[in-house]
Formats: sequence, C-alpha cells, structure tokens
Amino acid sequence: MVRTGAVTATGNPEPAVRLTHLTKSFGPRRGIRGVDLEVNPHQVFGFLGPNGAGKSTTIRLMLGLYHPTSGTRQVLGLDPVRDHAELMRRVGYLPGELTLFGRLTGQEILDRFAHARAMTDLSTRRDLAQRFGAELDRPVRTLSKGNRQKIGLLLAFQHRPELLVLDEPTSGLDPLLQDEFAQLLEEVVAAGSTVFLSSHDLAEVQRVVHQLAIIREGQIVAADSVEGLRARAPRVIELLFPARPNPATYAALPGTELRATDSRRLVLAVTGPVTPVLAAAAKDGAEDIVARPADLDELFLTFYADKESSHDA
Amino acid sequence: MTLDVARLDLRTRRRMLIGCMLGIAAYAFLIVAIYPAFEGDASLNQMTQDNPTMAALFGATGSLTSTAGWLNANLYANFVPLIALLLTVGYGAGAIAGQDEDGSLGLTATLPLTRRALLLQKTVTLMALAVAVPAVTFLCLLAGPAFDLDPDWAGAVAVTATTCLLAWDLGLLALAIGAATGSRGIALGVATTVAAAGYLISSLAPAVHGVHAIRWASPFYWAVGGGQLTGAGPLWRDIAALVGLGILLDLAAMRAFERLDVH
Repeated sequence: MVRTGAVTATGNPEPAVRLTHLTKSFGPRRGIRGVDLEVNPHQVFGFLGPNGAGKSTTIRLMLGLYHPTSGTRQVLGLDPVRDHAELMRRVGYLPGELTLFGRLTGQEILDRFAHARAMTDLSTRRDLAQRFGAELDRPVRTLSKGNRQKIGLLLAFQHRPELLVLDEPTSGLDPLLQDEFAQLLEEVVAAGSTVFLSSHDLAEVQRVVHQLAIIREGQIVAADSVEGLRARAPRVIELLFPARPNPATYAALPGTELRATDSRRLVLAVTGPVTPVLAAAAKDGAEDIVARPADLDELFLTFYADKESSHDA
Repeated sequence: MTLDVARLDLRTRRRMLIGCMLGIAAYAFLIVAIYPAFEGDASLNQMTQDNPTMAALFGATGSLTSTAGWLNANLYANFVPLIALLLTVGYGAGAIAGQDEDGSLGLTATLPLTRRALLLQKTVTLMALAVAVPAVTFLCLLAGPAFDLDPDWAGAVAVTATTCLLAWDLGLLALAIGAATGSRGIALGVATTVAAAGYLISSLAPAVHGVHAIRWASPFYWAVGGGQLTGAGPLWRDIAALVGLGILLDLAAMRAFERLDVH
C-alpha cells in the first residue's frame, strides 16, 4: 500500500491522484475524454470548469463510482474499484448534489456513518459542528440548503481522511462560513491531508488552491500551479486616447485581444510581453493607461469565451 | 461486518413498515375474530362451487368455511402476500435504483464497503421487510383457538415461511432490475408485472387446465398455491424452489450492481 507521503524511485512524492487518459462516454458530447491529471499530496487541488464540463464525472471515476470507458486511475496508490473499501477508509467525499436521508436528523446520520467507519474518536466532528454552527437535532428535510451542506461537510471531514474529495463544497454556505471553510482547508492540508476541490467559481478557489486544472467540455484545457497559470493569464490594459484609435491595429498585435472599445477608450487583454501594445499606444498618443495585474478570472473567462465562440460556430 | 446501511435503510422506512404491520395485524385479527360467524355458512361454499374460476381468481378454492379455506381465501392467497410485496418490491426498487436516482446511494457507496457487502446489507434489509407482514399475521393466528379457528399449525408455520420467501424473491427481482437499469420505475414495473402474472397463474391453476400445466412457473405457487397451509405438498420442495430463486436473483443483482455507475 502506498501512503500519500510515499516517495517514488526518482525521489518525487507519489501523486495522491493519478488519472491517465481517462475517458467516460455517455454519448457523443457528454462525459470526459482523455483526462490526464496528477494531484500532489498535501496540497489543495482546484478542479474548475463550467457546469456540465465533466467535473463530477471525473470525481465519480476517481472514487470508483463510475467505470471508465478507457484509461486508468490510481488514488492514494490504490485502484478505486479493486481496492474500493480500503480506499474509502482513507477518503472523505462531499457530493456535488448532496442528498441526505430527509427524515433523519443530522446527528442520526453522522452517528450511523461514524459507526460504519468504526470511528471511536468523534472530537473532530464535535469541533466542526460547533465551528460551522451545524444544526444536528432537526430532521434534515426541515433544514436549509446551507445547513444540509454543513452536515455533508461533517460527513466528509469527521474521520480525518487522507484525501478529501469535495464537489462544489461551499454551495449554500454564507460568506463568513466560506472563509471558515477556507481556513479549515489550510488546517487539514497542514495536518497532512490532500484536498481535491471542484468548483465552477474561480473566485471561490483561487485563494486556497496550490494547483489547479480547468476542464471544459470533458477535456482538460489547463493544468498548472496557481503561479504558473497566473503567468499565463492575460493582463487587462485600459488605454485612453485623444481621438478614436483604430481597434483593428490593437486586435492584430500578438497576444492581444480586444475586450471593449468606445469613442476614445480601448480595453485590451494582453498575454505575454506588453511592448507591442505600449509602442502602438505611444504612436497613437495615448493620454492615460490603467493596467490590472494578471487575474485568473480573465484566463478562466477566456475558456468560457472560447466555449461560447465554439458554440456560435 | 456492521449492518449500518441496512439499519439506515430500515430507519428510513420505519413508518411504512410500522403502518403495514399495524394494518395487516388489524385485518388478520378481524379475519380470525369473525370466523365463528361464517364457519357454518354453507352458502359461501356454494359460491365457490358454482363459479370456481371466478372464485379462484380471488384466491378462493375448495371449502371457504374450513379453517384452511377461510385463512387461504382471506389472508394467504391475497392480502398477506400483497402487503408483504408492497414492502419488499417498493424497497427492492428503491434500495439501489431509487437511491441512485435521488443521489443518496453516492454517500453509502463511498463508505468503506465493497459493493458486494453493500448489496448484502440491502439483501438483509429485504429479508427483514419480507418477514414483517407474514410474522405479524402468524402472531394474529395464535389468537385463533379463542375464536374456534384452530389451523394446522405446521401448515401455518410453513405458509408463513414460504410467504416470507415469496416477498423476499420478488423484492430481490426489483433489486436486480434496479441494479441493472438504474431505474426505479423500470424495477417497480417489471417486478409488479411479474408478481401480478405469478398471482394469476397460481390462483387460476386449480380451476383452469391450461394454467395448471405452468403453475410451477409462478413463485406464488411455491409459496401459497400448493396447499402449504394444509401441508399438502413437501415443504422442502417449496422452500428449495424459493430459496434457489432468491439466490439466483441475488447473484444477478450483485453482478449488475458491480457494473452500475453510481451517481
């Protein structure tokens, strides 16, 4: 058995999750295709993509809930189907569409799951319930979405798993609890766990993740560290001119995309060196410039925009 | 192995289980208690003799006023299996396919259990549900001697056991279809159709020659249609047929569940 802290023969830490050419087909345009991913241990891995991109499908394949059409997967060094019980002992999972047992109270559900996991130490659960203000004494069907989500989080975290697989975990949580959740992730990672966090909202994850991958229409379109992606992300440059500039001149520059234009103003997204933009702006006698640092949102939106344009085509 | 998933499933069906048990208890006790009023009513027997096919359709054959005839016509040929099946077929269709459709199966399928162990717990739950209604009915029969109703007790035990197995089998059929298709609706539809066809075959077999030849194809025949209440046939044969069918269905369910994509 390989633990998350294991080291390969080359000295690199064994990935907590390794997906190789993983494909799951439900139809011509559904499922995932040739997904390759490696998740480093003791980190938070952000898995981003718009709704329906294949995030939950990938997660279900990782957990052995789905059978792949082709490709291989290894999680904590184990095969998710063959070693399912052993793997699930070490994994905490929060589904994207959490359905609890409506007539039962949160306490009953948590107790039953704790017993099924042969847990004797319930201190983590008690602490988390207090920290998140979880309501455990009412039937789940009477709780709000946010309160149900808290119970889902307790189910995932209560046995202090080595790997947490969280599908849209902050859905329904208020902003204060989202901050609390971000802090919790830092704590569990510091304690040695690995977190696989899926979301459609970059703002939610970019402050907590170390690595991230973006999936679109079932394929990974970017996978890197946050710093690496930030380096590739476009900067937004806003230029003000004394007279109307020719937008086509700027749109034709390498690594430059026209975002907005009006009578005297141009908004550009620039990836790579800014020298050509500055040279063109100087030539047109630009009066003012506002530049925003590279933002992952811009990169993320670029993928969304690509999707829209491919649909338009 | 702990039985936490089985207990969880039983807990979520507690109200329905209690409701069915109370309902059948009230009905069975009433049937037992009113027996003295009908025991000497020859017109009832005349009815089954005059129109045997129609009577058979409702599970009444032979003398209606004999102890066995009364219990068979009013309990074991219809209501007891019907209520027992209501519980087991409903659970069978819901235990995998229904829970997969509503999303709760994803939580239990990520507990540290193999799919076989998970299915085994569903099978155990099904067994508990299958036993409930026939067992309560049997308990009501125990009051029989106080109302001039003194059945063949070995036969009563036998029909209780075979009715449990019948409910278990058809619940397993729903479970297997649900595991194979992931659809609660298909599982319910197929299992209900098979149950209805089985009931008709077993009920009509004594009165319709063509149906008599294929009575063995109905699980109802092995449970309540072969004179189990009077000890007419060898019990081991009925038990073996029903247990064998249950094992086959359980294996089929296991195979299907291992292939199912759980949401």
